[in-house]
Amino acid sequence: MSNLLYLYGLVPSHEATTTPLPSIKGFDHDSVIYSISLNDVTAYVCELDSDYYSEETISDKINNDMEWLQEKAFHHHETVQQLAKQYTIVPLKFCTLYKSEDSLKHTIESNKEKLKETFKMLEGNEEWNLKIYCNDEQLKKKVSESNASIEAKRQEISQLPPGRQFFEKKKIDELINQELENEKNLFCEEIHEKLKKISLFGSIKKNWSKDVTGRKEKMAWNSVFLLPTPNVEEFIEEIKLDEETYGIDGWDFEVSGPWPAYHFSSFT
Amino acid sequence: MQLANQTNGRINIDPDKAEQGLAQLVLTVVELLRQIVERHAMRRVEGGTLSDEQVENLGVALMNLEEKMEELKDVFGLDAEDLNIDLGPLGSLL
Repeated sequence: MSNLLYLYGLVPSHEATTTPLPSIKGFDHDSVIYSISLNDVTAYVCELDSDYYSEETISDKINNDMEWLQEKAFHHHETVQQLAKQYTIVPLKFCTLYKSEDSLKHTIESNKEKLKETFKMLEGNEEWNLKIYCNDEQLKKKVSESNASIEAKRQEISQLPPGRQFFEKKKIDELINQELENEKNLFCEEIHEKLKKISLFGSIKKNWSKDVTGRKEKMAWNSVFLLPTPNVEEFIEEIKLDEETYGIDGWDFEVSGPWPAYHFSSFT
Repeated sequence: MQLANQTNGRINIDPDKAEQGLAQLVLTVVELLRQIVERHAMRRVEGGTLSDEQVENLGVALMNLEEKMEELKDVFGLDAEDLNIDLGPLGSLL
């Protein structure tokens, strides 16, 4: 049975020929990563023994073997990151496999125009990620104290008997929670729009749960930006400034990058 | 079990601290019921079918229940987040 090809990323051939790739171990630690060129596009791949790896076995490992998944995902990320340091790269998702060199070449050939445009868009640009966290209790206190209508309602119910007051207080709490969500969205949208102005593209992603982040504060915003390299410093400075200004109200900013442009490059 | 003061929303039974795990589990169920009762009461009050006296009595009872719940959480070193267990694809309990 012929071997499978594990595809890490695609780079423009003119960059691949001028900068040779150092020796990197492949997905199974036995094979070595090598390149396959098709005109303007060079693919970085490694071979995988199809007796051991198939769609079913990989899917089973991903769902049931956390240790394997962690090790392999780390390998994929490290490899793509290393390639991204050297080349303009269209990074591929974890476990992108092809049955043969011919099928890979066929896919590249049928998407060559799209790839050409993507390389052009990515050249000289970097992907950065911004996550905004919020201490809900701290912000809730601020919202509750600074909102005039909430304060008026509080005054209004202060003369009521305690039982009735209990229900009215619950209504106020609900109102504060709504205000808190509005405030969080408005704040993060404003930051996002400001940063988009110095980026080529900005895109909003799903917030991660506390289980994933391991943090006590809730994630309020998760976004990715494609930035021209000269704008990166300004981007980071802007966020630092926001951190200094709004940190006191319970906001926390986490910026990371440069990442391989997973969110701004589609291949097929 | 290491659930107290953790915010991962899961209950892990550790034989050495079974009491704490049980307390958390019981308080989670009690808190869920308390919140259901509270929401139902709110709807009844909003519906306008209760007399002023009934509203007052219901409000005081719920207020006492809420206070008692806070005391119990303090006793077992739990916070609101600890009682909000993760139901996987269904989301959080509370």
